[in-house]
Amino acid sequence: MHELSIAMEVCRMAEEKLGRDALPGLVEVGVDVGDDSGLEPASLQFCLEALLKEPPFTGARPIIMRQPGDVLRLSYLEVDDGCPDN
Amino acid sequence: MAVRTIDVREKVMARNDEIAADVRRRLEDAGVVALNLVSSPGSGKTLLLERTLAALGEDLGIAVVAGDVQTQNDADRLARHTTRLVQAVVTNGACHLDARQVAEALDHIDLDATRLLIIENVGNLVCPASWDLGETAKVVVFSVTEGEDKPLKYPKMFRQSRYAVLNKVDLLRHVPFDTTTALANARSVNPDLQFFFTSALSGIGLDEWFDFLRGLVRAPLAV
Repeated sequence: MHELSIAMEVCRMAEEKLGRDALPGLVEVGVDVGDDSGLEPASLQFCLEALLKEPPFTGARPIIMRQPGDVLRLSYLEVDDGCPDN
Repeated sequence: MAVRTIDVREKVMARNDEIAADVRRRLEDAGVVALNLVSSPGSGKTLLLERTLAALGEDLGIAVVAGDVQTQNDADRLARHTTRLVQAVVTNGACHLDARQVAEALDHIDLDATRLLIIENVGNLVCPASWDLGETAKVVVFSVTEGEDKPLKYPKMFRQSRYAVLNKVDLLRHVPFDTTTALANARSVNPDLQFFFTSALSGIGLDEWFDFLRGLVRAPLAV
């Protein structure tokens, strides 16, 4: 339950950062999770995978990065902007 | 395809923490002390609150925000002991209260007539430790039927709490609970934890608890 709340907040932050129209281009979401954060990383991964499969997302990969301490942070967003490489 | 990486590095709880800071400001501006009561389910915090409201509700201008996963049972129980508003928050499955829910509850409470706000969190010793509600202090309630190792199993909650209430002490002669070990365990994770020993059912230790609350309202803590 707790992990689902956190996963929903991560998705809200992604939308805030990118704007709703850009969310289909989201391909990877990096989250730092501290060993003392009170979260089960596998459960958070599961919840993020479930949410990121649903529109407006299109299956972005959640990457959970274990860290010491109680950090819980949205580390990065990886986006395909749809433009061809130069 | 052109993939770019956007460095964010922002706390996931940042939004909650902003709202909690706003709640804290509102309470401080109104001169209200706020306690966030946390515990596992069944520790007796609702009965402790009932007794507290019956004894001090009017004198100390106590308002309550009661959180539960389902039902308003606790809020209904508490409302029988006070004419003051008991604001119920049903989380519909969420395992904790968050700052937004408390902020919305405050909109329905007359803060000018309130000196002490008690937030009864959802019974859970894990998740509520991660959510700042804007309280002045957390009070962790645990009972002698739960085992001495609760502080070791849930260190974050005991570390974040400023006060601990060991409840149901009237049952000590019936259960194999070692109070000395429980205190040592609690102080190993939080040496500054201040303890109260109560039986909300029999009334043991409630006078000390009530005196503490009176003192808290007279001389509020720095956060």
